[in-house]
Amino acid sequence: MRTDNEMTAAKRGGEMTGQISQVETMAPEGNSDATSRASRWLDENLGGAGFVRRSMRHIFPDHWSFFLGEVALYCFVVLVVTGIFLSLFFKASGDQMVYHGSYEPLRGTTMSAAYSSVLQITFDVRGGLLIRQIHHWAALVFIGALLLHVCRMFFTGAYRRPRRANWLIGVTLLILVISAGFTGYSAPDDMLSGTGLRITFSIIESIPLIGPWLAFLIFGGSFPSADFVARLFPLHIFLLPGLIAGLLGVHLAILWRQKHTVFRDSGGDDKTIVGTRFFPNYALRSGGYFFLVGGMLAALGAFLQLNPVWLYGPYSSWSATSAAQPDWYTGWLEGALRLFPAWDIHIGGFLLPAIFWPGVVLPLLLIGFLYYWPWLDVRITGDRGVHNVLQGASERPGRTALGAAILAALAALFVAGGDDVIAVIFGGNFRTIVWVLRGCFLGLTPTVALITYYLCRLRRRPTSRMKNTSRGAGPAPVR
Amino acid sequence: MSEQADAEGSPRRRQRAWPSWPAGIAFLAAIAGGIGFGWSYVWQVSDWWLGGFLALGMLGLGAGLTYWGVYLHHEDVAREDFPYPHVDEAERAALTEELECNEDVITRKRFLGLLLGAGATILAIGTLFPVQSLGQLPGDTLFHTKWRRGSRLVTTDGQLVSRGALSLGGFVIAFPEGHTDSAESPVALFKVAADSLELPAGRESWTPDGFVAYSIICTHAGCAATQYEDESQLLLCPCHDSAFDILRGAKPIYGPARRALPQLPLMIDGQGNLAAQSDFEEPVGPGFWNLP
Repeated sequence: MRTDNEMTAAKRGGEMTGQISQVETMAPEGNSDATSRASRWLDENLGGAGFVRRSMRHIFPDHWSFFLGEVALYCFVVLVVTGIFLSLFFKASGDQMVYHGSYEPLRGTTMSAAYSSVLQITFDVRGGLLIRQIHHWAALVFIGALLLHVCRMFFTGAYRRPRRANWLIGVTLLILVISAGFTGYSAPDDMLSGTGLRITFSIIESIPLIGPWLAFLIFGGSFPSADFVARLFPLHIFLLPGLIAGLLGVHLAILWRQKHTVFRDSGGDDKTIVGTRFFPNYALRSGGYFFLVGGMLAALGAFLQLNPVWLYGPYSSWSATSAAQPDWYTGWLEGALRLFPAWDIHIGGFLLPAIFWPGVVLPLLLIGFLYYWPWLDVRITGDRGVHNVLQGASERPGRTALGAAILAALAALFVAGGDDVIAVIFGGNFRTIVWVLRGCFLGLTPTVALITYYLCRLRRRPTSRMKNTSRGAGPAPVR
Repeated sequence: MSEQADAEGSPRRRQRAWPSWPAGIAFLAAIAGGIGFGWSYVWQVSDWWLGGFLALGMLGLGAGLTYWGVYLHHEDVAREDFPYPHVDEAERAALTEELECNEDVITRKRFLGLLLGAGATILAIGTLFPVQSLGQLPGDTLFHTKWRRGSRLVTTDGQLVSRGALSLGGFVIAFPEGHTDSAESPVALFKVAADSLELPAGRESWTPDGFVAYSIICTHAGCAATQYEDESQLLLCPCHDSAFDILRGAKPIYGPARRALPQLPLMIDGQGNLAAQSDFEEPVGPGFWNLP
C-alpha cells in the first residue's frame, strides 16, 4: 500500500513540475516525493525549513515530572473545545424568568436565564451534560496539574536563572487559570456558586477605604446584580482564556528556546541536554498523552458526577446550602475564613473587618511570595549562576522545608474548609473542631518544616557522595 | 542524522522485541469508540454510554500512540547543547552598541521626549474614567434596606404573617411586603417565650407577643444564616459556622462573625398582622470601612 502511494505521488510530482523534478531526484533515498514537496513548500513560502528541522530535533528529557505541565496544557485544549460547545447554548443573563423546561422538580420556579440555560444544556441538549461535566473536570484537573507543576519547579530549583522570567509567567498563568475556574464555576448562577460570589463580594467590600466602591464597581451595584451574571461570561470565555492562551504561547516559546532542565542522573549537565527528540518519538508520545488525558477526562465526565447544579437550585439571597463544598481549589480560602478569629479592628471611627486578613492579605501574601521567590532565593543563597541542572529536594533542606510547610498550611486550611463535614463524620461541636484545626494549622506547619529539614539533612550525606563518584564515570544511564 | 548512526545498530534489534499488535488493538478500540459514540448519540442512550465510548476511543488512540512512541523511543537517545550559558559576548556587545546608537534619536530631543511621555501618561489616565460606568458609587445603599415604618411582613411566597401564624418555637423567613426580591431585606422571624428574651436595653418594645426578627445576612461574609437549632436557640450560618444567640439580640456566640445580626423592630398592626416599626437601626450584612 505504501509503495503504491509513493509511486502515484512520484508520478504526479513528475507530471506537474517537470523542471524541478531534477532536484527531487537528488533527495536522499527513502524520502517520498510528498515529503520533499512539503519541505520545499515550507522553505519557499515561509523560509521555515531550517526552523522546522531544528524544532524536530528538539530534545525532551525523559522524566515523568515533565509530564505535569503537559497535562495542564492538554486540559486547556479540552477546556477550549468543550467550552466552545457550551458557549453556543449558555445564556449569560441575570434576567429573571419562570422555568418551564423538562426538569420536573424546578418547573414553575423563578430563576435567571443563565441558570435556566444550564438546565437546558443538562437535560435537553443531547450530550450536553457530558460536555459540561468534562469541561468542569478538565478545569479541576488543570489546576491540580498546575499546582504539581509549580511544586516540581520549586522543589528542584527550576526557577533559577535563566528561567526566572518563565517562572513569573507561570505564576501569572496559575492565577489566571484559577480565576478562569472560579468565573466558570460561578457562571451558572446556582445556589452554591452564588453563595461563593456573595462571599467574594464581602471580601472585596472589606478592603480599607475603597472596598465598598470597588465591590460595587466589579459587581455593577449591590449584591446580587443581574449585570454581574452577564459580566462573568466575557471574563470567562474571552478575557481570561485569551490572556491564558497568549501567555501560554510565550511560556512555551521561552521553554522551546531555553530547552528543558535536566536531572543530574539523566546524564545531562549545564551544557548538554539529554533525552528524546521531538520528532518522531516525542511527537508520537505527546500525541498519545493528549488523548490519554482527554480520555481520562471523558471517563471522569461520564462516570463521576460533579457540581449537580440542578439539585442546588437557583441562587436566592435567603437560602444557603450546607455540606456542599465549592471547587477544591477554593477550599483553602474557605478554611482560612472559618479559622481566622473574629478580630474586627476599629480605627478612629472606621472598621477593618476580620475577613480582610484571610480573604485579601493571605492570598496576596502567597501570590507575592511566589512572584518574589526566585529573587529571594538569590538573596538567601547568593547564587547568581545560570543553571540547567536540577537540584534534588534534599540538596536544599531549607527550601524544601519551606515549601513543605506552605503545603502543610494550605492542606490544614483545606481540611478546615470542610469542617462541617468533619463535624458530621466525627461528631463534636464546631467550637472544639475549630480550635483543634487552629491548633493543627499553627502546630503542623512548623512541625512539618522541622521534620522535612531533618529528613533532607539525613538523606543528603550519603547520596551526594555517590553522585560525585558517578558523575565522573562518564556517559549517562539511559532509560 | 549522525545520532542514529551512533546508536550502533541496537535499535533494530530492540524494535523487533516490541510487537506492534498492542498498538493495533488500541487503534481498533478507537474505531469502536468512534462508532459507539455515534451510535449512542443517534439512539439517545444515556450519557454514560456516550462518555464511555468517547473515553474508550480517546484512551485507545492515546494508548496506541504512546506505545508507538515508546516503542520507537529506543531509536535515539539524543544530546544537544543548551543555548545557555554559552553567552555570545560579541553579539551582546554588538546589540549594546546598536542600542546606544539609536538611543540618540530620543535623547537628543529631550523636551520632545518629555512631552511624549506626559502625553501618553495623561491620555492613559484620562481613558480610565469610563471604568466608573461599571457600577454606581455605593452612596448610602449599604446603610438601608426596604423596611419602612409599617411595612408588613410576608413570607417568601408573599403571604402576610399574622400574630397567630407561628406557634412557640416557630421560625419563618420574612420580607417586607412587595419586596420579596430584595436581597438585603430578609429577616428570620421567631416566636419565643417573651420572658426568656435578654435583649440589649432600648429594644423592649420591639418584640410584641414574643415575636423577634433579625436580618439573616451574616455579618461575617454575607451568607444567609438560616439554620435554626431550636434546642440551643442558635441561628447558624452554614458558610463559616458562625452562631448567633436569638434570645440575646443575635449576639455571635462562636465562629468568625463579630457583630450581632441587626434586629428589626416589630409591631402588630390593626389587622393583627406583623409589621416593622422602622428600618434596621444599623447596616445589615458584613462589615466595611465606613461602617460606624
